[in-house]
Amino acid sequence: MSTTAAAVTAAWRSESARLVAALVRLTGDLVLAEDLAQDALVAALEQWPRDGIPASPGGWLMTTARRRAIDIFRHNEVARRHGSALAGELESIRQETVMDDAVTVDDVEDDVLRLIFLCCHPALSPQSRAALTLRLVAGLSTTEIARGFMVAEATMAQRLTRAKRTLEREGADFELPELADRVERLDDVLVVIYLIFNEGHTATSGSDWFRPDLCHEATRLARMVAAMLPGEPDAHALQALIELHAARLPARVDREGRPVLLADQDRSRWDQLLTRRGLAALDRAEELARSGKPVGSYYLQASIAAVHMRARRAEDTDWTRIARLYDVLAATAPGPVVEANRAVAHGRARSPEAGLSILEAIPPDALPDSPLIPAVRGDLLLRDGQYADAAAAFTDAAGRTTNDAERELLLRRAEEAETLSAAE
Amino acid sequence: MRYMGFVKMVPNQGEPPQALIEAMDKHIQKNIADGVFVDGGGLYSETFRTEIRLRGGEVTTFDGPFAEGKEEVGGYSVLEFRNHDEAVEGARQLVELHRQYWPTWEGSVEVRRIAGPDEVGGK
Repeated sequence: MSTTAAAVTAAWRSESARLVAALVRLTGDLVLAEDLAQDALVAALEQWPRDGIPASPGGWLMTTARRRAIDIFRHNEVARRHGSALAGELESIRQETVMDDAVTVDDVEDDVLRLIFLCCHPALSPQSRAALTLRLVAGLSTTEIARGFMVAEATMAQRLTRAKRTLEREGADFELPELADRVERLDDVLVVIYLIFNEGHTATSGSDWFRPDLCHEATRLARMVAAMLPGEPDAHALQALIELHAARLPARVDREGRPVLLADQDRSRWDQLLTRRGLAALDRAEELARSGKPVGSYYLQASIAAVHMRARRAEDTDWTRIARLYDVLAATAPGPVVEANRAVAHGRARSPEAGLSILEAIPPDALPDSPLIPAVRGDLLLRDGQYADAAAAFTDAAGRTTNDAERELLLRRAEEAETLSAAE
Repeated sequence: MRYMGFVKMVPNQGEPPQALIEAMDKHIQKNIADGVFVDGGGLYSETFRTEIRLRGGEVTTFDGPFAEGKEEVGGYSVLEFRNHDEAVEGARQLVELHRQYWPTWEGSVEVRRIAGPDEVGGK
């Protein structure tokens, strides 16, 4: 039986989060746990192509990693003398039959959850949290993560090393946060997943409008967390939000790969399965909310996405409902991005002037590096028949994006507005 | 990438052992927890099964009894994987569970990529 390296990696990856998570619990050492998991992968790459993938890859990898851990501890006098808890753990590992192939990585959902919380530790920057989560929970290689975030591989490797060092220095706890911290820490986790999705959804730089791989990873992570914390409405709400946005991805570019705005999208290309899953996740969040659990901004954002999904044609969109939802969102999670979107909604629900007046209230120095506000202004001015001003706003917006596809789209809109202006 | 997985089996092999049912359940739960499993279910074999056929320009409706094929589709699942290797590994794990808990079982698991809106399911 011959097995390719890709098949081995695939088998390793389907076990990697559980493997690393169980090893962190066992060793209490994130760096060591990751090294052990990597060593197990190397061993698998040596043996599986020859012997075939074992019946239980998870069991095999765990056994291999444990054996290795015991070797390391055995030869590490320092660890034995200092780490009394570690030594106790070691004794118990040693007493178990290391050769026992029944040792699996099953029933370690709690370990995985702990690992996710650890990767999203408040001591780390959001970018580092995202990178570490992709590395240790999703099992991506440093190369893949670097590609996802459009940075050099060395930069990403350094970011990951620094993040792990920070966790070590902080003595970050590999325990599930206590109830009081739980909500806040869960929010950190959800923010990281949404950050990964958004990085993929509207790539901040480069030539691609979006990067499906990152969207896919974020979708997976959101599903994971919702499955592991079924009683948390926000976890379901984030899953809903991400599934609904992911459902629209196939319509976000045309056949030439150019971005298509929501209103112009061919809705028959929206993914029905993801839509259904997103709406079901939103229902679950709603049910939990009805039973008295507080819900946050993801719930409102997912509700807004659901209104879009339910409109068969763009002109059927219930903008009044969307505007109302944005009003609530602006009250609970205020910020310039929400205000800009609220302006769009009111611009459609009531009049372009209503939208423009919301836009005027945003501090002029908000989001200086984002095309969002001038792009919305351009759109509302265009609808209001102020074509020349609209063209200027779109041009302004185009100058503020580092994403090639987005710039092209904005310049195209500027041109359209200019054409209309010239025809006046 | 989205895949459709089919479990196909030689008919009349009796009821699956409880241990397999439990192992399969665990496998699916793991796939759900990993965000891989997006849809799926078992299929009725005799009832609620109708074939509408076109032959020689004539349309006929057939409700059974169905001639036993070599292998019957017993269930389907829709799964999302990063690449084909992951899909194959998922299928292999499922077959492995049968080997472990119902070694006399004869059948197969097939994974096929679902073509996207702009793709033609090529050869």
